[in-house]
Amino acid sequence: MGSNLATNLPANLSNSPGGAFRGDLSGVNLLRVIGLSKQYVRGGLWKKRVQVAAVTSAHFEIARGQTLALVGVSGSGKSTVARCVARIESPDAGQILVQGTDIARLSSRELLPFRSGIQMVFQDAVMSMNPCFSALEAIEEPLRIQRKAIGNRQERRDRVGRLMIEVGLSPDWMDRPISNFSGGQRQRLALARALALRPRLLVLDEALTGLDVSTQAQIANLLLDLQAAHQLTYLLISHDLALVARMANVIGVMAGGRIVETGPAEQIVSNPMHAATKQLLASAKTTAAKFAAITGAPS
Amino acid sequence: MARDHLIRVSDLSVTYCADEGMPIRAVDGISLEISPQEIVGILGESGCGKSTLAGALLRLLPPGAKSEGGILFRGLELMNLPEAELRALRGREIALIPQDPALSLNPVITAGVLIGEVLRAHLPLSAAERRQRVKELLCEVGFDRPEEIYSAYPHQLSGGQRQRIAIAQAMACRPGLLVADEPTGKLDATLQSEIIELLSKIRQQHGTAILIISHDPAILAGFSDRIAVMYAGRIVEVGSSAEIFGRPLHPYTQALMRIASSMITSAGVISRFPAIAGESPDPGCIAEGCRFEPRCSERMDVCSQRYPQTFLPEPSRLVNCFKYGE
Ligand SMILES: Nc1ncnc2c1ncn2[C@@H]1O[C@H](COP(=O)(O)OP(=O)(O)O)[C@@H](O)[C@H]1O
Ligand code: SF4
Ligand SMILES: [Mg+2]
Repeated sequence: MGSNLATNLPANLSNSPGGAFRGDLSGVNLLRVIGLSKQYVRGGLWKKRVQVAAVTSAHFEIARGQTLALVGVSGSGKSTVARCVARIESPDAGQILVQGTDIARLSSRELLPFRSGIQMVFQDAVMSMNPCFSALEAIEEPLRIQRKAIGNRQERRDRVGRLMIEVGLSPDWMDRPISNFSGGQRQRLALARALALRPRLLVLDEALTGLDVSTQAQIANLLLDLQAAHQLTYLLISHDLALVARMANVIGVMAGGRIVETGPAEQIVSNPMHAATKQLLASAKTTAAKFAAITGAPS
Repeated sequence: MARDHLIRVSDLSVTYCADEGMPIRAVDGISLEISPQEIVGILGESGCGKSTLAGALLRLLPPGAKSEGGILFRGLELMNLPEAELRALRGREIALIPQDPALSLNPVITAGVLIGEVLRAHLPLSAAERRQRVKELLCEVGFDRPEEIYSAYPHQLSGGQRQRIAIAQAMACRPGLLVADEPTGKLDATLQSEIIELLSKIRQQHGTAILIISHDPAILAGFSDRIAVMYAGRIVEVGSSAEIFGRPLHPYTQALMRIASSMITSAGVISRFPAIAGESPDPGCIAEGCRFEPRCSERMDVCSQRYPQTFLPEPSRLVNCFKYGE
């Protein structure tokens, strides 16, 4: 069955521990994160308040039109990085350079012009919205917030219709409530909504998690197609290394709030260096081996 | 086929009758047997009726759901059993690990008490004996420090720990049949295989038969003895695990296997995934022919005209597809 995780590719380039790998081979970085750190305060009322380091000094960069996947077990700090990059959260230290401008410390007002350039899609994103919303309202909401929902009724419907077609939804469903959409369709809606503002960077936090494998395959293909069509840059967050290894140029592995290894996807799966990477790969390989053993495919 | 089945489901259908809109036949004429100690996997995508089937086996369906057909468990016809007798049976002889255990765990009751409740409902044990049993169960499902977990509240537990608690609850009375509805659904890859290993161990130690439900073939690989593939309320293929994985017959099963394989094996090179275009039919309006027909790359004229009956291309293999008979 085609390719597998264990291919022994020559390791002529070694992965760099600590995440100093330069993802930018062409010289155009869309996103560059330097020394990003974030702490949370846990406890309160009855328990002693403690500072918990969610992310410590994360460095990475993503070239325009490319994908960097951050993988790791739950609690390793992936989502905190994602929320800081999308500036839903403010980092305690570090820089987040978007095409050269540091947005790490901008106020929400100063952030406004950058908001449309960075959009975030998370697991079952649409479920957190008002279930009575129609598809049209859900897709248009970010445009309204940005005061870009201009045009007359027909122009607005045309624009939303085009977005729906782009993500593989029928525009006939524009007026249906979002609660009538299936899990996969809701992720398509979330993507249409994110695309409405014509962003350059999509932060995809477990955007494929919780979907059936057959739906995951469809949405993953859609992401690959949209990226090619619009030269989108992706920060892809996932606990599933085997899945993202087929979608990312570069993989960063997180453990205990740090990026412990970064490298081209090919090298991460063929020549892992850090124990955390090896552990993630081991569980993927066990599954692959069981599958290969029973399907009779070469492992 | 003269084996003694533990449970035998024949021509089971479940219809949800909503006040408004069309009735939904979520499970449509399903027949399936499970032998003692056997692990049977139900494979199918979300909405195909897997959880409805699980609920129907325990006669635990929401009001407004109508079920027909037969469910023979250890010689007892569950469809005719009064509720009081069903209550005595549930948890004791057939236990369910629900799809989202977080929802069924009471937030103000500790894990230990929660498991103890199951014992109290079914077994005449003293409080001290019960406490002892619960601790043994906690060890059995893999907790090193049962004392700590005993007095933990659900919100203090991780997703993986909560899943283990749900398994301990289900195993408390040593049921003959365990129904596990997507037991690894929300967990990380590593935790997923830990839960599957635990279920394997349970079968080995206690001879528990398991009906495991999943949308992911990879979860069932190396675990189930037999697999039934469901599509839009019906079983479309049944075979041994080796047959279903090694030589799937139904075009839907074949496509699903290609997808699953692409998701677990990657050389780190960007490439599209093999996918099935389209979506499964709206359960409110099912057409007459093969339900997979709109998405099938091998469809023929006959496929949209009537439903393919069950063909037996090989002994012990069932498939509903016109490629294997007229
Ligand atoms: N309580 C309910 N009332 C009405 N329809 C339901 C109910 N539960 C499930 N359904 C419908 O029945 C079909 C099968 O659902 P379900 O058994 O949950 O499938 P699965 O577990 O395979 O995802 C779906 O179309 C679903 O919307
Ligand atoms: S019956 Fe026809 S449409 Fe259905 S799976 Fe078989 S070939 Fe495809
Ligand atoms: Mg279900």
